[in-house]
Amino acid sequence: MSALREIEFRDALREAMSEEMRRDKRVFLLGEEVAEYNGAYKVSRGMLEEFGPRRIIDTPISESGFAGLAIGAAMMGLKPVVEFMSWSFSLVAADPILNNAPKMLYMSGGQFGCPVVFRGNDGAGGQLGSTHSWCVEGLFSNVPGVKIAIPSNPYDAKGLLKSSIRGDDPVFFLESERMLGNKGHVPEEEYVIPFGQAKILREGTDCTLASWGRPVHFCMEAAEELQKQGISCEVIDLRTVRPLDIGTVVRSVKKTSNCVVVDQSWSFGSPGSELASQVHRHCFDDLDNYVHRVHTADVPTPYATNLEQEYLPNARKIVEAVRSATYNL
Amino acid sequence: MPINVTMPRLSDTMEQGTVVKWHVKVGDKVTSGQVIADIETDKATMEQAAFDDGTIASLLCPEGKQVKVGEVIAVLAEEGESVSAAASGAAPAAPRAAAPAAPAATPAAAGRTIVADVKAVPVEIDGERTRVSPVARRMAEEMGVDLSQVTGSGPGGRVIKRDIVLAAENRSAAAPVARPAAASAATGLVAAAPSVAAAPAPQAGALVHGLQSIEVPVSTMRGVIAKRLVESKQQIPHYQVTMKFSMDSILALRGSLNEQLSAMEVKLSVNDFIIRACALAMAKNPFFNASWAGDRILVHQQVNVGVAIALPEEKGGGLVVGVVKDANLKSLRQISGEVRSLGEKARTKGLSMEEMSGATFTISNLGMFGVDNFTAIINPPNSAILACGAAIEQPVVRNHQLVVGWEMAATLSLDHRVIDGAMAAKYLQSLKQFVEAPTLLLV
Repeated sequence: MSALREIEFRDALREAMSEEMRRDKRVFLLGEEVAEYNGAYKVSRGMLEEFGPRRIIDTPISESGFAGLAIGAAMMGLKPVVEFMSWSFSLVAADPILNNAPKMLYMSGGQFGCPVVFRGNDGAGGQLGSTHSWCVEGLFSNVPGVKIAIPSNPYDAKGLLKSSIRGDDPVFFLESERMLGNKGHVPEEEYVIPFGQAKILREGTDCTLASWGRPVHFCMEAAEELQKQGISCEVIDLRTVRPLDIGTVVRSVKKTSNCVVVDQSWSFGSPGSELASQVHRHCFDDLDNYVHRVHTADVPTPYATNLEQEYLPNARKIVEAVRSATYNL
Repeated sequence: MPINVTMPRLSDTMEQGTVVKWHVKVGDKVTSGQVIADIETDKATMEQAAFDDGTIASLLCPEGKQVKVGEVIAVLAEEGESVSAAASGAAPAAPRAAAPAAPAATPAAAGRTIVADVKAVPVEIDGERTRVSPVARRMAEEMGVDLSQVTGSGPGGRVIKRDIVLAAENRSAAAPVARPAAASAATGLVAAAPSVAAAPAPQAGALVHGLQSIEVPVSTMRGVIAKRLVESKQQIPHYQVTMKFSMDSILALRGSLNEQLSAMEVKLSVNDFIIRACALAMAKNPFFNASWAGDRILVHQQVNVGVAIALPEEKGGGLVVGVVKDANLKSLRQISGEVRSLGEKARTKGLSMEEMSGATFTISNLGMFGVDNFTAIINPPNSAILACGAAIEQPVVRNHQLVVGWEMAATLSLDHRVIDGAMAAKYLQSLKQFVEAPTLLLV
């Protein structure tokens, strides 16, 4: 029965948090509208009822304040989960989350860890405009000391969120408003997914497609289309970008000789550019072409729906990149 | 206005340079930043980029000719300018000041444009060489495919994976007798090797006092070695001091460390220990890390140990000095890794200017060739150089007993203007302390 159970991405997130809260009294959730309103995106539906207002806490609209509070709590031994309504809003909390949390263990000489999970929607949600459509991984993955998970499906979301909460380090957990309603198989039995383990979603021989988060679906779509055109793609879901499972990508590229990296953040100084650089380094003698990259366009996110569509990575752009990388243009 | 392109000064010591290869010809359009020539300096061969946009009006310096820094080597016609007018209008007699050291920054985007152009711009470099993708090159070597016989189907004629697969298939279909793989792989390599690396062909003929001799042209590197070492030997009052070191402890420590580090692919050489010992010995003997500067002595505050690296005969031979910067601040393992990569790079593609500059003390080691003892010539502007022989197992007297032990002789060559004999002896004592109690090198 459980093998067939399909639940939404948002339910997988809630299951992960609720299970960990039942398991460990130190875990609590805070953020805007997470309690009385059941979460702006209904991720925390029913959690106030089960865990009460001491553990499911509505905060004022003050990211810098409640992020800082969570970091303090984590330093003193609690395990907070902070929900950002959107990662775009985390930018006002840059000092606590970037300048304090990731460095705490280092700066305190190992005295204080910072086991806090920040989670929320990342990337263009659909006509939210330039300032509310951030893909923060481009900026945040630059900081040593953080772990970053960008799951693409409910199963990974649950397993990764559980290991995020159990871990000893600050985690940035990046979800997508566009995927919260996606359904997928999630077993009822407990499982956790460790960080730094990519998953090969589709095997292929001609080109490696490496991605994470929402664009993984575009890669699968593109791989399907390319198969019809006689080009066989291996699709890898990195699942976490910090740490980055470069080994799985390298083993694949040594087989295919070609690689296309798909990353929905901007191209300049991004996880995608880092991955491409590492592939160039480790696969130099195995490459038949330079690593191609598909990113969002290097402009602020447009509001107009047609422009926003064209701005994001999509299956068509990935097909073109693979055809170019494999000399089939 | 025609733009003069002059021989750039690519290193502090560069006085003249040779255009080894032009990547452009008259009439070619060039853009700022595009590589137009390979220039051989006294130390290395470097790519020279254009600093301006324009069309090549004339190339004034033939390949292989050595010219002084600042001399005009090419003339560019600006946009809209006639190439022939620019060529005749250029005045080699009045060369413009040396070209700026770095290409001008890209002008800021005009107006309020917020859309940055991130389209890939294909880099077109004109030239005869065969372009081959890395995996295609590797496969050609493994499968014994002669790259010069393969037509590339990639952009700009790049030979790609499928071309090699196709060539291999065609070959096995057409010629049942396979060619020896090693031979054809070698052909591929030669076709790909840069022409500058090839050793100059000896010319037969010159007669000196009735002797039949072969004339070998002097490479730039050989010329520099000759010039600098003659200067060193003529100007520096050299003298030598030798000391013998017991190597039993260092060899035992090295053996035990290497055994433990072998899993990490670290293999420390005796020379790595000597480098660290020499660097640490500077602390008590600062004048060994100094330069004579005519009316004063410069005592350097950074310990950069130069290591003489012999280049392989097939690459034309010669010798370069790779530099381990801040050697006194680095662990044995770091030093070992750096020396290894400097050596490999020197022997394969050549060291960059940065990797050869700034030595404050130099070590030359011929121990690996079984040499007992030798003297070296100081590498200016250093004040000392250490020549190390081999560690040799021999009868030695220890505690009034004749026993068998490992010994190494090392000879310092010194600049007497900076270092006197007693100072040299003291330095060797410091060195001896580190070499004979080598655990000190680990802390």
